[in-house]
Amino acid sequence: MEADSKMGESLDPKHQAQPRRLAARALNEVDFWRGYALIAIFINHIPGIYFEQFTHRAFGLSDSAELFVFLAGFSLRYLAESRTENLAGMRLFMRLEGRAFTIYAAQILIVSLALALMAGAALLLDTPLILQWNNASAFFESPIQTQVGIILLAHQMGYFDVLPLYIVMMIFAPLVVVLGRISLRILLFYSVTVWALTLISELNLPTWPVEGVWFFNPFAWQLQFVLGYVLARPKQATDFIASKRTELRVLGLVITGIGLWLAIIQWSPNPFELPEPRLFFMNDKTSLSPMRILHVMGLVMLIGGLFDFAVRWKGFRFLAKPFCLLGRNSLHVFCAGSLLSLAGQIVRFTTPAGLVMDTLVLLIGVAAMLAIAWGNEWRITWPR
Amino acid sequence: MAHHLAALISSLILLALAGAPATSQDGAAQKDDSAHASEQVIEPQNLYPPLPPQAAALMMQCSVPQSEVAKPAPLVNTAARIETNKKMRVLAIGSSATWTGNRAGNYPSRLEKLLENVWKGIDVEVVNRGVSGEIASVSARRLINEAAILKPALVLWQLGTNDAVARVPLVEFETTVRATVRMLTKNKIDVVLVGLQYTPKFVRDDHWFAVRAALDRIAAEENLLYVRRDKAMEFLAQTRVAADVAADDEFSLTDLGFPCMAEHIAQAMVANIFLRRSGDRRGAPVR
Repeated sequence: MEADSKMGESLDPKHQAQPRRLAARALNEVDFWRGYALIAIFINHIPGIYFEQFTHRAFGLSDSAELFVFLAGFSLRYLAESRTENLAGMRLFMRLEGRAFTIYAAQILIVSLALALMAGAALLLDTPLILQWNNASAFFESPIQTQVGIILLAHQMGYFDVLPLYIVMMIFAPLVVVLGRISLRILLFYSVTVWALTLISELNLPTWPVEGVWFFNPFAWQLQFVLGYVLARPKQATDFIASKRTELRVLGLVITGIGLWLAIIQWSPNPFELPEPRLFFMNDKTSLSPMRILHVMGLVMLIGGLFDFAVRWKGFRFLAKPFCLLGRNSLHVFCAGSLLSLAGQIVRFTTPAGLVMDTLVLLIGVAAMLAIAWGNEWRITWPR
Repeated sequence: MAHHLAALISSLILLALAGAPATSQDGAAQKDDSAHASEQVIEPQNLYPPLPPQAAALMMQCSVPQSEVAKPAPLVNTAARIETNKKMRVLAIGSSATWTGNRAGNYPSRLEKLLENVWKGIDVEVVNRGVSGEIASVSARRLINEAAILKPALVLWQLGTNDAVARVPLVEFETTVRATVRMLTKNKIDVVLVGLQYTPKFVRDDHWFAVRAALDRIAAEENLLYVRRDKAMEFLAQTRVAADVAADDEFSLTDLGFPCMAEHIAQAMVANIFLRRSGDRRGAPVR
């Protein structure tokens, strides 16, 4: 979720001298995959759209949310260890807490805009049905309670529930960095322990006024974030990963292969027949079950580093540019994408179904996301 | 205020038209659901026994003939749980309007009060896990996991509207619902399907009707209690239009339909628990 310069270091040193170093125009792997994840999230947030069968969710046990959170942890490491930023002590703390506040502001803004978009569409089309979508009905029926719930992040609209997780992670990010500086192993140990205890106790944050729990359980999902943080610089972290690249790639191939097979036969564990603690064996997105982590780590083992080979090919660089542009501006693009998905839901509702309409929704949505990303970079890098 | 007045006037008119709710349900039910009842070999006179007076009184404002609202099916696991435990948990999950009402409470909490009022001495706990606007495949995943953890006697699954709206392929919808329902019933959990919302225009396209037909099919073939929400809303809308209380736009129609939902579900549940007790013993749980 780190937009702007958070991603930090450009792979191309000559760009580092540009204004505010944001113009890290060189293509890099994290931005690329983050760009892909943003497009996948945009598609997956329009239920029923034709193209959802082509995002990697359809070919395995995890989806772009895991990838995205993993990459957020990844970028935090780059920021925390950036030589130019020299982040330590109070400076690091303020930077990360400031970031948490920015994301909080973004969340409040997009939820307000989403509610207005739904209300506007409901009025214009004379269809109050729209007011119920995405868990929004509480706001329109009980605005007094729900407004308080929104501000406290206790009311979460469907598909607008990712940023609250990021806010919690950013609030605790200084702790991650400090523990990581002491020892990555200690950081990982604490993270796994909290995750495991969460799965055993089924602990989660409650939602209010609609009775329920957070869709992304932050006590569980912090592990995905920390895994990204720990594995961000394999050469520094441990030589093991670097030396066993081939073996890891084969293991990744096996894991994703099994995931693909399970997705094809549509297998899912029967939660009624599982031993306790059940959450360890379920495929539960809310509590980030082990099989989901395993699958996304398998993906990382399989494809991690391949970008550096592919980028030598001109054709790939051409293709990778828009993905990286999206990835570099991920907070802006994510926010725009959330609203564009909602707009896509409304458009698909009002028009005859079909591949043509779905293609238009996809193309216009992605074009708008690219325009937002381009505009954001233009704004920041404009010479003063 | 206007709505309360409207509700009062129309319920008085409705009462005058339909007679006492309990007796009107009997007659209409026998006529409309005879085909379905014969499949289940339920004697017609036992289809809808009179509701207890307190149940009928609570539901007056929302009175709709039972045949309009529900396709009957025995709730064997719920009945068994009530008889043995004096305690029952209901899991409410689904797509739309699972959050409704404010001062009167949302529909699950309202349902809890209604059922406890009717079944004196039974501790009913309705757990609300509804997320409005969800399509069935998303609900289904949560539903199975929540059911495994909460172990309810009965699951209330409100579905269809958003799948119709999002134009989810029909085969996909039907496969998801059937698989989920079978897994629940296999694990001794009753399932009550709560159908689509009534909207007189716009979304009532071919797909909307196809989804509704699919739900009819699933309920009949899987022998599930099915609360036909669109029918109930339609009935209320028509009687109110006839009474010139006007539901001239979709917004007032929605206001009209929501507050009665808990009543309609409670009515169907109560009637079907008694359905098993008063005649059909075939569905009784093995003890």
